[in-house]
Amino acid sequence: MSTLVTLFVILPLATAFLIPVIGRVINGFQRTITALIFLFLSILSVYILINVNPHIYTYKIGGWEPVNGIPIAIYFVLDGLSTFMLVVINLIGAFAALYSIPYIKRFTAENNYYALLCLMVGGMNGVVLTGDLFNLYVFLEIAVIASYALVAFGVEREELEASFKYQILGGIASILILFGIGMLYWNTKSLNIADVSDILKNTENNKAYLVFTQVFLITGFGLKAALFPFHAWLPDAHSSAPAPVSTMLSGVLIKVVGIYSITRLFFNMFEISVEVSTIIIVLGVISMVFGVFLAVGQWDIKRLLAYHSNSQMGYVIIGLGMGMLILANNGSKPVAALSIFGGLFHLINHAVFKGLLFLNAGAIEFKTGTRNLKEMGGLSESMPLTYSTSLGASLAISGIPPFNGFFSKLIIILAAIKGHFYLLAFLAVLVSIITLASFMKFQKFSFFNKANLSPGRKINEVPFFMCFSMVALAILCLGLSLLIFPGVREIIIDPAVDVLMNTGSYFSAIME
Amino acid sequence: MNELYYIIFLPLIAGIVLSAFPERIKIIKGIIALIITGITFFFSLKLFSVSEKIINLDLFSAFFNEGTFLNNILQEANRFSRFNIDNLSKFITLAIGFFGLVIIVYSLSYISKTRQIKNYYPYFLITLGFSAGAVLTDNLLLFIIFWGILGLTLYKLIKGYDEESSSAAKKTLILIGASDGIMILGIGIIWKVYGTFTMSELSIPTTYPILVVAFLALLTGSFTKAGAFPFHTWIPDYTKSAPASSSAYLPASLDKLLGIYFLARICTDMFTLNQWLTFLMLLLGVMTIIFAVMMALIQHNYKRLLGYHAVSQVGYMVLGLGLGTPLGVAGGLFHMINHALYKSGLFLSAGSVEKRTGKENLDELGGLSKNMPVTFISALICALAISGVPPLNGFASKWIIYQGIIDFGKEPGIANQLWIIWLGLAVLGSALTLASFVKYITGIFLGRKRKELEGIKEVSILMWMPNAIIAFLCIGFGVLASTFVVPKLIMPITGEFAYIGIWDSTTIGILILVSILLGILIYLIGNIKNFRTEDSFIGGEIFREETSYSVVEFYKGIRDYKLFSFIYNWAEKKWFDIYEISKKLTLGFSGLLSKAHTGVLTFYAIWILTGLILMIIILTLMS
Repeated sequence: MSTLVTLFVILPLATAFLIPVIGRVINGFQRTITALIFLFLSILSVYILINVNPHIYTYKIGGWEPVNGIPIAIYFVLDGLSTFMLVVINLIGAFAALYSIPYIKRFTAENNYYALLCLMVGGMNGVVLTGDLFNLYVFLEIAVIASYALVAFGVEREELEASFKYQILGGIASILILFGIGMLYWNTKSLNIADVSDILKNTENNKAYLVFTQVFLITGFGLKAALFPFHAWLPDAHSSAPAPVSTMLSGVLIKVVGIYSITRLFFNMFEISVEVSTIIIVLGVISMVFGVFLAVGQWDIKRLLAYHSNSQMGYVIIGLGMGMLILANNGSKPVAALSIFGGLFHLINHAVFKGLLFLNAGAIEFKTGTRNLKEMGGLSESMPLTYSTSLGASLAISGIPPFNGFFSKLIIILAAIKGHFYLLAFLAVLVSIITLASFMKFQKFSFFNKANLSPGRKINEVPFFMCFSMVALAILCLGLSLLIFPGVREIIIDPAVDVLMNTGSYFSAIME
Repeated sequence: MNELYYIIFLPLIAGIVLSAFPERIKIIKGIIALIITGITFFFSLKLFSVSEKIINLDLFSAFFNEGTFLNNILQEANRFSRFNIDNLSKFITLAIGFFGLVIIVYSLSYISKTRQIKNYYPYFLITLGFSAGAVLTDNLLLFIIFWGILGLTLYKLIKGYDEESSSAAKKTLILIGASDGIMILGIGIIWKVYGTFTMSELSIPTTYPILVVAFLALLTGSFTKAGAFPFHTWIPDYTKSAPASSSAYLPASLDKLLGIYFLARICTDMFTLNQWLTFLMLLLGVMTIIFAVMMALIQHNYKRLLGYHAVSQVGYMVLGLGLGTPLGVAGGLFHMINHALYKSGLFLSAGSVEKRTGKENLDELGGLSKNMPVTFISALICALAISGVPPLNGFASKWIIYQGIIDFGKEPGIANQLWIIWLGLAVLGSALTLASFVKYITGIFLGRKRKELEGIKEVSILMWMPNAIIAFLCIGFGVLASTFVVPKLIMPITGEFAYIGIWDSTTIGILILVSILLGILIYLIGNIKNFRTEDSFIGGEIFREETSYSVVEFYKGIRDYKLFSFIYNWAEKKWFDIYEISKKLTLGFSGLLSKAHTGVLTFYAIWILTGLILMIIILTLMS
């Protein structure tokens, strides 16, 4: 089983290598193989999630065993949280790849596109699997550098500018992260996350040193997760990229390189502290509130969606942060578990509905040639599937039952009230209302209203594979509501919650 | 409890299945929906005779066999599926079933040709199922889910084909969704303090601020659904743009039933109100009555006029329930059912007129009484009922509410001292309602007929029949109020109470009916042919189209009166619309934030650096 784990990294990377070679000779290779590989990996990850969950698998690259308790090999660690993230990455990846088949045909250099997509997914899979700080950085860079190129894929003025900004700010983030990792290595002489956590726990640490390292890491990963005030690259980058790439960026990338890393390091590596969790909550709240206010005024569909990614990440972060704060205060464990569950639940929900919304936006752009809400209208007649799927996703993100977003927000709000965070609960509701308002605006101007399209354009439904991805994700929007049932939750999210709840047991689970 | 499956899940599942079929077989879909609604109504009748009890329904084993994987993982959700069958919920369920049946019959003819709403029947059935579910459930979480989905179906039952209707749909879902979000806060607080979601176990004193917040949060939800001030603003917009059958179904009947049901639940069962909350409710009640009726007076569009009245009447229900006395609660609930009757009747008649004439403004209509006699008589009866003319049902319930207010004034308390104000404004509201319905009836059915309206015919039996049934029930509920309706339907909910005034509805009702019959007889016996009909006399001039004044003109005086015109101007600028105000605030703040995003890279880098330094400072200070 543990050797299978490496497939998640090897397969996409190998495909990324093969595509420019074989894709040049065999036309269609790049599209088929990417979609197939992602589908296979998502099935594999779902299989692992359902069947083999309670166990932790570690894979030591090179097979080197620890010497005197000091890990020498690079570790791949598959625990509940990693499995959960793998499902998110590969599932959304598979749908994005399927969607790309018709969508990317209008661009040249298909080979490059699919190779970069594989690199990005491979990098993200590496990030969630690795148990090693430096490898975390390397995989993160693989994923992020691939995304720089993908954002610029349209090679128009706007795309290049967005990609440039993204690279500069992403570069700052990478330096901060690398610096933080360097600080940790300097003090602990180890890069293995489990080992570092053990050393940090057992030695007396200088406060200033810890504060410095933690802030660098929070800033670095916060930049990647686009938390306020580190968000400025996101609206440009996410709106300029081709639609399936926006789906991957907004739906998966910011979660994996940003939120997953923060969660993993601050729950499992550092000892949880009240101060850090407060900072994390504050960042989350600021993102949540400011993001939505920025979003509601936008007229560019994808920019609107991009700002909502900021805002929705705020929900995930406060869910996780409240859990952390309650744990740090030795508060009630069930409430902390509920809160973390809410955060992770919202994470997977957001991946699905935001991914879907970007695909919808892509479909609209594909047919109408514009992203400006003022220049479209009346599309519900001509694009019924796009309309109904986007309505589902819009209601999901706005928290209208029976869609998944309602349940995750409900849980976050209930946990906030139960944990005495009344202000957070209130803000969560307020943000949810404004989210609803801005998505009603999206629905109204794109699908209802009178058509303001440039004359002579005949609008019809998008090709099959684009529809397929959208419908599948829309079904997931409804289906993920089932996670609210305790029986389903136990199988899918509880293992991930357990990893975060038992903050100290990461070391023992891996090293012993 | 098989009835519950049939009442809640049969329409739901049927609706979901029907939505999978193509639109082309709309008629068949309509007939299937009719049959399903009929079955639901039958079982809600059956449920009405069941004695009060609380049951735990096994939701999932009905669908999946024991021991299967799905059954196991869904099993635990059953602890949420608690249903409370008491007199209140039974009564409301019956009413929901009845209105569903009447309106779907009307829709069969109304929807199939004129307004193409996609999946009208599936959403109709889903609404029916979830409404019954929301009323019967005893669990707050299950309740909020059902309740929230109803907002969605409301949104789907209006079609956004132009700027105005799209805005109405948008506004509706935003306001409803917002209130649902606020309700979650209230539910969360209740869960935090009492550790339970079960409504029937709760008895909450409103002594602590946090419990008051919980009450107000839930109150917001019920006010928005029922359409009471200040959350009412979606109703006039919705009724103006939506098909009349949708308006009759949701804002006029089901949303009122649900909103007032929940208001009754929270005011009488779940919470004990302190005197300030009573005061607040009474204040909001009279404000709803007066503001909405004042707005109704100046409307030109008759569907919008009805929409404002759908708001105004809620004020009486809020007044009644706010009193908290058995008399008041009985009045409020009785008014709720009466309102649902006459308002859906009015919307159906408006729909018939619109279907036949295609006109939406009062000044373009007139003189249709001969062409559409049944619609006219039904609309007249409903209009008299809503204006509180005895012996119709609107009078009966308003009378109980007035008695409740007078009775309430005998107790000490802040709200009680002001009883005369509540009473005065409520009576004034009723008078203004009559004034605006004179406009409605005259504008559409009486007065001079325009040339283009000559060939108008009565609508089909499928459309006038439901309307006539409703009008007939308006008379029936009014005449039998004190002998049958109140003792049999309302008293089981509120408990026994004594009237302080005297009103024997049956005797007086029969007397009035007899006198009307006599009048008709006299009219018929005296030869009608002998009457002379003349055109309007206008100073000897020949009557011309441009000299004709529509009834709307008579109401311009109100608009032009100095004080009122000031208020109306503000109202037309939407300063009283909570939605518009919040929209302005939100967009203003949004604009400010956008200005900060200049797109200059160095600026963004500075933000990052500032954030980093701030975090270091804060963390150093904290630890």
